[in-house]
Amino acid sequence: MRARALCLVALLVAVAIAPACSSSPSTVVVPPGGAGYGGRFVYPLRFEPLTLNFVTLSDQTSDYVARLVGDGLVDRDADLRLVPRLAESWDFTDGGRVLTLHLRGGVRFHDGAPFTSADVKYTYERVIDPKSRAIGRIDGFLPVERVETPDDLTVRVVYQHPYAPALAAWEVPILPRHLYEKDDFLTSRYNRAPVGTGPFRFVSWETGRRIVLASNPDYWGGRPFIDTFEFQLIPSQETTLQALLAGEIDYASLSPVQWKAHAQDPAFSRRFETVRYLPLFFLYIAWRGDGSTPYFADPRVRRAMTLALDRDGYVSTVLQGSGFVPDSVFHPAVLAPDPALPALHYDPVRTAALLDEAGWRIDPATGRRARAGVPFQFNLLIFSGSEDHVQFAQVAQESLRRLGIDMTIQRLDWPTLWSRLQKGDFQAAVSGLVAGVDPDDTAYGLLHSSQIKGGQNYAAFHDAQVDAWLEAGRRAVDPDERRSIYRLIDRRVAELQPYTFLFFPMTQAAMSRRVRDIRPSPRGIIAQYPGVLRLRVQ
Amino acid sequence: MIAFLLRRVVSALPALVGVTLVAFFVLNLLPSDPVQVWSGGSALSAEAAGRLRSELGVDRGPAARYAAWAVALLRGDLGHSLRDGRPVAFVIGDALPWSLALNLCAILAIYGVAVPYGLVGASSPGSATDRAGGWALLLLYAVPPFAAALILQQWVAVGLGWLPLQGVSAEGASLPGRVWDLLRHLALPTLCLALSGWAIVARYSRAAFRSVLGREFLSVVRAKGLSRLRAHLRLAANTAVPFVTLLATIVPGLVGGSIIVEQVFSLPGVGRLYLAAVEARDYPVVLALTLLSAVLVLAGHLLVDLLYLLVDPRIRTALLPERTDAI
Repeated sequence: MRARALCLVALLVAVAIAPACSSSPSTVVVPPGGAGYGGRFVYPLRFEPLTLNFVTLSDQTSDYVARLVGDGLVDRDADLRLVPRLAESWDFTDGGRVLTLHLRGGVRFHDGAPFTSADVKYTYERVIDPKSRAIGRIDGFLPVERVETPDDLTVRVVYQHPYAPALAAWEVPILPRHLYEKDDFLTSRYNRAPVGTGPFRFVSWETGRRIVLASNPDYWGGRPFIDTFEFQLIPSQETTLQALLAGEIDYASLSPVQWKAHAQDPAFSRRFETVRYLPLFFLYIAWRGDGSTPYFADPRVRRAMTLALDRDGYVSTVLQGSGFVPDSVFHPAVLAPDPALPALHYDPVRTAALLDEAGWRIDPATGRRARAGVPFQFNLLIFSGSEDHVQFAQVAQESLRRLGIDMTIQRLDWPTLWSRLQKGDFQAAVSGLVAGVDPDDTAYGLLHSSQIKGGQNYAAFHDAQVDAWLEAGRRAVDPDERRSIYRLIDRRVAELQPYTFLFFPMTQAAMSRRVRDIRPSPRGIIAQYPGVLRLRVQ
Repeated sequence: MIAFLLRRVVSALPALVGVTLVAFFVLNLLPSDPVQVWSGGSALSAEAAGRLRSELGVDRGPAARYAAWAVALLRGDLGHSLRDGRPVAFVIGDALPWSLALNLCAILAIYGVAVPYGLVGASSPGSATDRAGGWALLLLYAVPPFAAALILQQWVAVGLGWLPLQGVSAEGASLPGRVWDLLRHLALPTLCLALSGWAIVARYSRAAFRSVLGREFLSVVRAKGLSRLRAHLRLAANTAVPFVTLLATIVPGLVGGSIIVEQVFSLPGVGRLYLAAVEARDYPVVLALTLLSAVLVLAGHLLVDLLYLLVDPRIRTALLPERTDAI
């Protein structure tokens, strides 16, 4: 027993020494006299970033950190409007085929080296290099033909064809070429200790525990108000709330149950401000329309399905109003809602009429719908880990049962669900998607026929007209022209309903009242610019 | 002796290969590949997914990938994590110390309470202490770990503010300061792990002591003038065999993670790593962790075999009849 106790002491000592050796010394920033500067903001992360390499990262938490340490050429503000960041201005020429970006002068990386167009070109080259596995970045750069750097502060990007969504990809934070060039790109030490030009400098990353950033006093856009930006890894949602209550963190998103328990509590409201925003994530049902099932190849049946589902009722009762029901494929902040788009409200009478018209009539003997002896019964795949999937599916099952349709529900873990979607091995499935900030990001993947095999067009939707519009939307540089193209797509999709767009669930969160001057964008409170610079704590 | 050990080690090798084979093919039965899992909710075009798949080598068949993994392993290379590209040894090395520290604390807490209780209960069976203790431990055993964790957090950390709510760190100006900080962070998770362990080990040790305390030789040594306490302590050596058997489960348990406790207390241990790796279909990490626990299970058994030889002369003579004097 004594020997075992000695082992324990030795081990404890080893653990105690290890972090002290591995973490870099924290930078002490002396606050100047100015009011409002200083303090620490602590934000919880549920998942650990996989890498802090600006190019290879593909998950949201890595992206949060990268946006603070690095600067992209452009960014989006709290309303998702395009704003300049390292590029002061830009223009499209040659009918939208050439994008010229004019870079900000006098910008330096955190190690003091100057930022130039060579860094931009290097960043682009790393994204398109297959060895980089830049899963989250590559799509926006595939149409690029070449990148030229006529001088240190000008970048000219030549696309294979006019490419209107081009700027979305240039949100990628710019890598320091002089540091990465010396190393193997995938295993470089800067992947876990990034250097950028951004408002915060990287201080330390303690695996599984936290990532600490310190304000960059020499930031070209002015020094940020807070001194320390800390990300704490807290995998459990329950613990996150407890940590907020204990004052260990400044912000926590709340589950619907937690929101209900706390949002109305005066003692809670005295300490915390409640925050709600509509994120870019939405749920939809894909109806496999390639003829592999007898039901969903007919657009009338798909429309009937949408009209049979009481989406508004679900949002107002189950979600207690914290959600938004779209009829468009676009988030309202990505494409302003079209007043002329017909709303597909819950309407069992019209559903029945459409189904009758499509030949799916009620068999008087059984009371169930059938066509030519084939009963209308199908299987809906859902993700078992999401309350929204499970609850919505149950409500839908009951609505359809009353219309004479039998729907079975199959619950899957999400890798399996994705795999079945990808193979087209399903009849109908609930899935979710994080929409991009450019309308093309969402629409092209879901609707273009080239994305049926291996892409995200799970419904196997194939419409020559929509394909043509999607391609036109990529080429149209004029914002008004683009908007009208995407509105045309919306109307056609509303008619053909390859998907039923269910709802955007609202994010509900609580933020310490000592935090000031920030409001969430649809991408959250961190992923916005220049909002984070103005965040301050008392 | 050496020959005996060698025989045991060699006979364990096929089991190791078998374990990794099964783990590998079970992972491959899951109908998805890492690229699909990573792309998750984000838009990834057909072109990009295809490029990535061939770059990672997941477009090759499972047999080819297993062979490549096994060959690299023979050279001592566990490969690189598919998720973050770091060497697997580094990835596991980050999580292992925390799990080891937590599990050691938990084992000490469990045995430190349960073995004395077993001795007390066994020396006066049916007494009020014995029965009350038995009930209390059984009740604690019935509390689900996640509920215990949440209640402890609410009371001790948020309400009273005595201990840290979550996370783990070992910071401080001096070495004792760091150890103290680490112990404070590990206190609540250790307690959670100990709750269920206490009842089991207490029952076990009580039964072990009971089997010895009723024997006649105890009366003989008492009659010869040894005090009750000293007699009991001396006799404890005779109960060593069942405790040695328990070691076989403790050794692999040292690196096994407790997913729930690690999750609730934000501990970056092996349990969370395992779960994350399986979810991401990160084959190299999953295989290495499986291999590690298989090695430890086998090592545990080997250790037990050795200790049997030491603590029980009967086993020694049965196994090594020709040279009992060698040990």
